[in-house]
Amino acid sequence: MADLGRAALVVSLGLLVYALVGGSVAAVTNRRRLAISARNALFCAFGSTAIASTVLAVALIRHDFSFTYVAAHTNRTLSTPYALSAFWGGQEGSLLLWLLVLTGYGALAVALNRTLLRDLTVWVVPVLAGIGTFFAFVLVAVASPFDTQTAPLDGAGLTPSLQNPYMVAHPPMLYLGYVGLAIPFAFAAGAMLSGRTDERWIVATRRWTLAAWMFLGFGQLLGAHWAYVEVGWGGYYAWDPVENAALMPWLAATAFLHSVMVQERKGMLKVWNMVLVALAFELSIFGTFLTRSGVVNSIHSFAKSPIGSWFLAFVVISSLFSLGLIMWRLPLLKARTKLESALSREAAFLYNNLLLVALCLTILWGVLFPIITQLVKGETRTIGRPYYDFFLRTFGLPLLLLMGIGPLIAWRKTSFRALAKTLAWPGAVTVACGIALIAFGAGSSHPGLIAYTFSAFVLSTIVLEVVRGTRATGSLTALISRNRRRYGGYVVHAAIVLLAIGIAGSSAYGSSTERRLTPGQSVSIAGYTLTLRDIVQRQVPNATETRALLDVKGGWSGTISSGDNQYINPPEPSREVGLKTNWLRAEDLYVIADSVNPKTKVVYVKVLVKPLVNLIWVAGFVFVLGSLIALWPDAREQRRLVTRLAPARAT
Amino acid sequence: MAAVLAVFLLYTAVAGHSTPTLTPSQLANHSGQLAVVGVVVAPLHGDSHSAAGLRFGLKNIDGKSGVIPVVYRGENPPPLFKVGRNVVVSGSYAQGRLAGNNVVTKCPSKYTATKTA
Repeated sequence: MADLGRAALVVSLGLLVYALVGGSVAAVTNRRRLAISARNALFCAFGSTAIASTVLAVALIRHDFSFTYVAAHTNRTLSTPYALSAFWGGQEGSLLLWLLVLTGYGALAVALNRTLLRDLTVWVVPVLAGIGTFFAFVLVAVASPFDTQTAPLDGAGLTPSLQNPYMVAHPPMLYLGYVGLAIPFAFAAGAMLSGRTDERWIVATRRWTLAAWMFLGFGQLLGAHWAYVEVGWGGYYAWDPVENAALMPWLAATAFLHSVMVQERKGMLKVWNMVLVALAFELSIFGTFLTRSGVVNSIHSFAKSPIGSWFLAFVVISSLFSLGLIMWRLPLLKARTKLESALSREAAFLYNNLLLVALCLTILWGVLFPIITQLVKGETRTIGRPYYDFFLRTFGLPLLLLMGIGPLIAWRKTSFRALAKTLAWPGAVTVACGIALIAFGAGSSHPGLIAYTFSAFVLSTIVLEVVRGTRATGSLTALISRNRRRYGGYVVHAAIVLLAIGIAGSSAYGSSTERRLTPGQSVSIAGYTLTLRDIVQRQVPNATETRALLDVKGGWSGTISSGDNQYINPPEPSREVGLKTNWLRAEDLYVIADSVNPKTKVVYVKVLVKPLVNLIWVAGFVFVLGSLIALWPDAREQRRLVTRLAPARAT
Repeated sequence: MAAVLAVFLLYTAVAGHSTPTLTPSQLANHSGQLAVVGVVVAPLHGDSHSAAGLRFGLKNIDGKSGVIPVVYRGENPPPLFKVGRNVVVSGSYAQGRLAGNNVVTKCPSKYTATKTA
């Protein structure tokens, strides 16, 4: 079996090298048959990678410990879904998943555009094959998932905290996002290589970018929720390098999704869009380098691994390639029109882009800071949470405000008077909300108050737009189906507002307390009183569970339990938090029980009340809904597209 | 843009709360607030909630250092904390002893180093 996996990967590598070299020769010399052959090689590379992936999946399900990878990441007690999730639980498997998704996405994107954008796809094939060649080479020569050994009786198993449904879904979501960003990058590079730098590559890849962005965004929220319910420290985002590695390309892709609208509509920001799409792609590879090189310290175990240097080399080479292409094609990337007014829709998009990119680069600076200080001062210095929080507020709050203003400003130019008239109702609602919030005590946190007020502003502008549109068309469904992209965007904006409210509520207005308790003793916080009733212990298959049982009165009445599990195989502990959600207030009562001692009946309890935190998770679903509305096939748009691309195809 | 860059560099240099992150072998000639990355070594005893604190040692992950004594007081360390685990301990370092106030245990789940012969 392992031999079949190894052989399939070698075949993938060979096919991808052929698609890279043959495809490049075909594109340069305009040899159509060779181009088709290179394209078919890319399709076949997906097939052989799928065979290699099937071999690994079968080995995981069958607990075939003769595979070193299977023995290192699973054991016999793991259920099939968790055994299968070990596919992306380790380095080699995750790289194989990356190659599988890349070749699958690439084959599909090229197949769908091979007729409409033939002049571009002949260049897209070698670019995608080049990326694939790198991953296939690493899998064949440096980090193979098909190394074998004499099979041990049992494997090392999967850390208990990873035996969680979120961990089955979260990593593949991120991979679908990371790898998806390679498609717009390949088409952008193809457009520059072919000299066809009009808007067709953007139109062709808009849905690919949107899908990748959706997966990356939702994947991050799944990871945040896993950390919140499973890791048990009371938070959901720690500004850890591995978390930032996913956030940075998402921010760059967000900027790109906005700025392409300016290029489609006005023919502006062509160079900027090329830079953004390259930045998003490079950051996705850079994140992989970060997590595997051991170059920075992280909560996640970033052991020094030989593949880190390969990834660094790839990031450097592909960045130089992107930069060189953009410099080479600068004359073709001139804007058709110029910015006429600082008070226009395109200017609002530009401000939005600057803020998003500034936030992205600020985070990048924070991640790189330890490396830079080590190089410059010979001493590693790490930047903490205050740095990231400061810049999140500095760039994030104006972004939130712009999200409300931008969609209401006219293209080309508008006047202050016209804008003031448009914003009158949302402005009045915002002022009323601000006064009410201060009256209810929200003034205790200025950033929180600003976030809430700006959120009210954005929501009122969205409602205003939807009401106006519905009046004009007669029904909400007709309105959305006529312009899915625009109204899907509004739903996504609503999701970001929910996210902002959830983050502001849980961080700026949350409360916490700690207390040592024995049975009968109580702790009070934010209207809740928790009394320790008892500490119990019981044996379950593969673990000893110890729990502190606390009776709760106040905002909610009932019993909440928190403690720890001590697993037998693998012999690891896990913290089990107590969590009670008040959905009316979207608030969580969160209990962490430390040093739970069933003999002395003593426990150290930390209780947190997190207002509105559940809006963050609700935002995830609204975000996906909005993205799907924007992604949904639109026959009207398709007709417009065919008409628009027809003259370009004829040339 | 230049103004933004200036604010940015000023913040990271002055108010960014950057902390030296060192290994036990790099601690010579250092004191004050810092973070130490290392592997937990025995003996491990005491209680982080008590005045005496939780006591343990730290040495370089590569093993090439002496052991520095740590007294940690505060919330219980994360569940995965134990002898042999890689951790980051933040606190105050003086006279060869680290008074820790925060422990981060590295998740051992992913991307372990490839075994070399």
